[in-house]
Amino acid sequence: MLEARELTIKYEDRTAVQEVSLVLRPGTVTALIGPNGAGKSTLLRSLNGQLTPTAGSILLNDQPMEQFSRRAIAKQITVVAQEAELRFPITVLEFVLGGRFAWAANSGWGWESEQDLQVAETVLIETNLTDLTGRLMSELSGGERQRAVLARALATEAPVLLLDEPTANLDMSHQAILLSLVRQRCDSRGAAALVVTHDLNLAAQFADIVVLMKAGRSIKVGNTGEVLTAELLREVFDMSVLVDAHPISGVPRVTPVHESIVLIDNLKSRSIREGG
Amino acid sequence: MTATVSNTSTAMRLRENRVTLQKTVTACLALIGALVVVVVIAALLGSERLPAGDTLCSLVSFGARQCGLTNDQFDILFQIRLPRIFLAAAVGGSLATAGASYQALLRNPLAEPYLLGVSNGAAVGTMLALLFFGKMEWSRPLMAFVGALIATFAVYRLARGKVGASPERLILAGVIVTTFLSSVIVFVTTLMDATRIRSFTFWLLGDLSGATKALLPLAIAISIGGALVLTFNARSLNLLMLGERDAFDLGVEVSRVRIVVFIVASLLVGSSVAASGSVGYVGLVVPHLARLSLGSDNRISIPAAALTGALFVIVADTVARTIIAPRELPVGAITALIGAPLFIYLLKRA
Amino acid sequence: MFLGWLHYRALLWCGIFALLISTLSCTSSTSPSTKTSSNSREITDDAGRLIALPQRVDRVVSLAPNLTEIVFAVGGGDSLIGNTTYCDFPVEARSIEKVGDTLHPSLERIIALRPQVVLVSTASQLEVFTQQLDSHNIAVFVTDPHDLEGVFRSITQVGEIIGKTEQARILVAKLRERSAAVDNAVKGFPRIRLFYQLSAEPLYTAGCDAFVTDLIKRAGGESVTADVPGAWPKYSAESALAARPDAVILPTGGSMGEGNSNVAEALSKSPAAQHGRVYKINDDYLVRPGPRAVDGLEEMAKALHPEAFK
Repeated sequence: MLEARELTIKYEDRTAVQEVSLVLRPGTVTALIGPNGAGKSTLLRSLNGQLTPTAGSILLNDQPMEQFSRRAIAKQITVVAQEAELRFPITVLEFVLGGRFAWAANSGWGWESEQDLQVAETVLIETNLTDLTGRLMSELSGGERQRAVLARALATEAPVLLLDEPTANLDMSHQAILLSLVRQRCDSRGAAALVVTHDLNLAAQFADIVVLMKAGRSIKVGNTGEVLTAELLREVFDMSVLVDAHPISGVPRVTPVHESIVLIDNLKSRSIREGG
Repeated sequence: MTATVSNTSTAMRLRENRVTLQKTVTACLALIGALVVVVVIAALLGSERLPAGDTLCSLVSFGARQCGLTNDQFDILFQIRLPRIFLAAAVGGSLATAGASYQALLRNPLAEPYLLGVSNGAAVGTMLALLFFGKMEWSRPLMAFVGALIATFAVYRLARGKVGASPERLILAGVIVTTFLSSVIVFVTTLMDATRIRSFTFWLLGDLSGATKALLPLAIAISIGGALVLTFNARSLNLLMLGERDAFDLGVEVSRVRIVVFIVASLLVGSSVAASGSVGYVGLVVPHLARLSLGSDNRISIPAAALTGALFVIVADTVARTIIAPRELPVGAITALIGAPLFIYLLKRA
Repeated sequence: MFLGWLHYRALLWCGIFALLISTLSCTSSTSPSTKTSSNSREITDDAGRLIALPQRVDRVVSLAPNLTEIVFAVGGGDSLIGNTTYCDFPVEARSIEKVGDTLHPSLERIIALRPQVVLVSTASQLEVFTQQLDSHNIAVFVTDPHDLEGVFRSITQVGEIIGKTEQARILVAKLRERSAAVDNAVKGFPRIRLFYQLSAEPLYTAGCDAFVTDLIKRAGGESVTADVPGAWPKYSAESALAARPDAVILPTGGSMGEGNSNVAEALSKSPAAQHGRVYKINDDYLVRPGPRAVDGLEEMAKALHPEAFK
C-alpha cells in the first residue's frame, strides 16, 4: 500500500535517514522504534510528502508519490501528531470535520456534505466523543483531546495511518484506548498503520511488525519476537534490558535494567539467556 | 464499519453545532442591512447640517432627484460625504479582511496589518510614489502594494525561527519591521519640503479626506474582490489556524494558500493605505469581534469581518469628522482609541 | 520592555487626541516687558518665560526663517552664527551655518557654535531642548506672534536682544506706516469673505491663532475660518463648500514651489472659483511672521480691493 525504497534524507549538515526501506501492508500495524535522534519522525514525515527525500522513492499504491496531488495524498495517508497548539476557539465537531477537507468538491471552499457529516458521526461514536461534539477543544482533557485528534485522522478515511508518538502525553489507559482504536481500524477496514513510539511494550502489544532504527539506519525489521530481543535492544539503546514473555498475551515484555541495580550480573545473564 | 449505531440526538446535535451556508448567508445579510442603515445615518451627519427629509429623499433616488436640497447641499452629500463614506467602508473592509486572514494564516489573534508593519510598508511605498511619480495617481496603490508585500515577507521570515513562529516572536518581528519602516518614513519626510510634512503626518495617522476620488473605485473593487478570494480560501485557513503541519497533513496546499493570502492581503492593505494612510487596529478589533460572536470558522468570520470592518470605520470616521467640526480628527485616532486598549487586553490574556 | 513599546503606540495616540481636543479655544497673547541690571538683563518672551541675557549679544542662532529675516532686517546679520535649512532670505542667510531644520535642529551643533541666545518661533519641542541649552548657558527666546502686532513685537524684541533697538524701532515704524496706508485704502470697502487654503489635500486652513488671519482682516477681507480654534486646523471639506467664499487665497510660489497652486475640489464650484477670484500670493510672505508679512498684506489688499489702489 505504502512503500519506501532506499530512502535517504539529508538535512544541511547531517543525514537523518539513510537507505531505509519499508513496506506498510493492509491490515498491519507497524511500530517504528529506536533511540532519540534515530530518524523515526523524519522518516514518518517523509512518508506523507512533508519532507522530500534526498534519494530513494516512495510508492503509494505502486505509483510514485510525486504523481499525486496534495489532496489525493491526504485522502490516502493521514497523520496523527502529538496534539497541536490551539490558539483559536474551535469545537470538537469543527475540529473533526477538518479531516474531511480533502473530500471537498473544490479545495479551500465549500461546506461539508451529508456524507461528511455521517463519517464524522461514525468516528465520533467510535472514539466515544459524541457527548463532547459542541465543546471547545481547549476545554477537553488531554486524553479527550488526543482522541479528537485521532477522530479527525480517522475521519479522513485514509487507508494509511501514520502516528507520531501519539501516546506521549497520555496515561496508561488512554494509551491503550488510542492504540486499540488504531488496531480496530486496521483489522476491520484493512488499514495500514505506522506508529512511532518509545514504549516498547506498547509496540509489542499492538504491532504486527516492528522496525528498529538507529542513527538513521534500519537495523532490523520483523515481527515483535524477532526484533524485541535483549541483544538487539542493548545494541541499539546502549543499555541492558530484560526481555521476557508477557504472562497473559505472551508477547515480548521489555524491562530496562539499570546498571546500579544489585545482582546486575545475575540479571544480565538471565536476560541474555531468555532473550536469546 | 463497527460502530454505525445511529443515534438521532447525536446526529441532530451535529447539524445544530455547525456553521452552515445558511448561517453565513443570514449573518452577512443582517450585516449588509446594518451597513445600509449606518451609511444612511452617516450621510445625515457632518459638519454641515442637511435637512434630514430632503437628504433621505435624495439618497433613496440615488442622487437622481435633488428633493429640495440646494445645489451646495446636494454637492456636499454626493461629492463629499458619500464618497468619503464609501471610502471608509472600503478601507475598513479591506483592513479587517486582511487582519482576519493574517490571524488565521499566522495562527495569531494579534496579527494585524498595522502592528505587523505591513501598513508602514505600504506607507513607505506610497510616499516614494508621491516623491518620484507624484503626477501618476495609480502609482500610489501599486507602490503601496509592493511595500506591503515586502514588509509581509520580512515579518514572516523574521518570525519563523528554527523552533517555529510563536505569537510573541511574530509580534516582536512586527515591532522590528514597524520601527525600521518608521525610521524610513522619517527619513523620507526629510526629503520633502516643510510644507508637505504636515499633510503627511496627518495622512500617516489615517485620514479619509485626502486625494481619493480617483482611487475610490479601485479601493472598493479590491476590498470586495479580496474579501471574496480570501473567503474562498476560508476552509484552508480553518486548517491553517491549527498549524501548517496539520493543514498540510489534511490536504491543504500550504505554500499556495500562503502566497495567495500574502498577495491578497498586501493588495488590500496597499490600496487602503494609498487612499487613507495607516488606519490602525481595524484588523485587530473587527476580526476579534466577528470570531467572538460567530465562532472561528473563517467561512463565516472573514465575510462577517469584512462587513463589520466597513461598519466600524464608517462610524469611526463619522465621529472623526463631526466631533470637533468644522475641524477634523484623523480617523486613525478614533480607531486607535478603541483598538489600543483591546490590544492590550488581548495581549495580557494571551 | 517590549510590552512597554506596544503601550507606547497606544499612549502616543491618546496624547495626540488630547492635544487636538485641548486646543478648542482661541487665546490672546502676553505682553512683553524688559528689565535691565548692571551686567545682565532680563526679558520676557512670548511663552511668558523670563530670560536672562548678557548685556551685549553678538552670537545668535535662529531656528526659524522669519526670525532670520528679522535679524537681518534690523541690521544684525553679523551676529547670526547659525540658522536652519529653511532660512533662504535674504540671500546672505543661505551661507550661514545650518543647524538642521526648524523641526529637527541639531543640539550638538548649536552648542558647538556657542551662541548666547537661540531664537525659536513656536513653543513646540521646547521642554527638553531648553533645559539642555540652559545647562550650557545658552538662553532660549521664544516668539509666538498671532497677529501683525505680534510680528512688530517680535521685531522690537529681537532688536533689543541683539542691541539693534533703534534700527528695530525705525523698521517697525516704517512697517506700521505701510500697514496704516493699507488700512486707509481699504477702509469703506466691503469686506470680502475668503478662504485661506494652506493645502488642498488634506484641506488645511488658517485658524484664529494664525497671524495671517489678522493680515486678512487688515487687507479688507474676512477669513471664513477666522473663528476656528488653532493656528493651522485641518478643515472639513463640506464646511468649506458650504461657506461659499467669494475669494480664495493660495499661499504658493515661495518655499512651496509649484505646490498648492490649485483650488481644492470642494471649492471648485465656489463663487470665488466661478468669478476667478483665486489669488496666489507668495507663501513666504504669509506663513512667515517676519518683516515681509507687510508685503503679503499689501499684495493681498491689492488683490482683494484693486479699486482701492488706483
